[in-house]
Amino acid sequence: MATSLSNMFLKGIAARSLSRPLNGLFYCTRYSTTVSNDSDTHDDFKPANKLENSGISLSNVIEQDVKDNPVMVYMKGVPDFPQCGFSSLAVRVLKHYDVPISARNILDDPDLKNAVKAFSNWPTFPQIFIKGEFIGGSDIVLNMHQTGELKEKLKDITSKQ
Amino acid sequence: MSSRGASALLSRASRIRSKLQTALEATVLEVDDVSYQHAGHAAVKGSSDKETHFNVKIVSPKFEGQSLVKRHRLVYDLLAEELQSGLHALSIVAKTLHETNPNK
Repeated sequence: MATSLSNMFLKGIAARSLSRPLNGLFYCTRYSTTVSNDSDTHDDFKPANKLENSGISLSNVIEQDVKDNPVMVYMKGVPDFPQCGFSSLAVRVLKHYDVPISARNILDDPDLKNAVKAFSNWPTFPQIFIKGEFIGGSDIVLNMHQTGELKEKLKDITSKQ
Repeated sequence: MSSRGASALLSRASRIRSKLQTALEATVLEVDDVSYQHAGHAAVKGSSDKETHFNVKIVSPKFEGQSLVKRHRLVYDLLAEELQSGLHALSIVAKTLHETNPNK
């Protein structure tokens, strides 16, 4: 299944990560990742108002992320090195289209992870936003790819290139 | 229908099945534990709970007129307790009866 899916997808443009990631951490390899003890799916659905050092709340950071980046993914790992099959699947689907993919690694920052869950009211990762709209997880992105909805939604992003 | 006390003894798969069936009155409900496929998953290393990954397929009239995001969110809401107590990932296929038999 995964192999045949891989064969279906064209090689896409190398994804770029955001130039100013939270906490100054740009790239984190699997072996240097510190996985927090808390379950990655804990979610109390309460708004995250904790302040970062910059004085901007995480929910504002996320709001700015999804507004500024036409395709925004909160995932485990980074597009070139996903650390979860579901995050990997979502990125592979998106790379089929010629669009820039912006991403943040939620394994780097438990506070970011919890803030994204609260922002979208969605308990799992990856989470994909397109043009500011919450799209869903890897199941939904794959389904939209298969039905042609994703191509339609990404159409004008591609044309901007 | 299991009693409240007994639910602690049921496997996660049984609890998932019970919650979904009760709420969604599904005509088709498949609950597959695929945790073994993710045994080396970095994010679940050290977890003592082995029932972490499930695929669910649900056919229910409750999904009529609902977008995919709303259907998945409905399922996640029903399983919120499981997600908070060790369920790590869920793959969801959620359809109405019409969608599984488009020729009817």
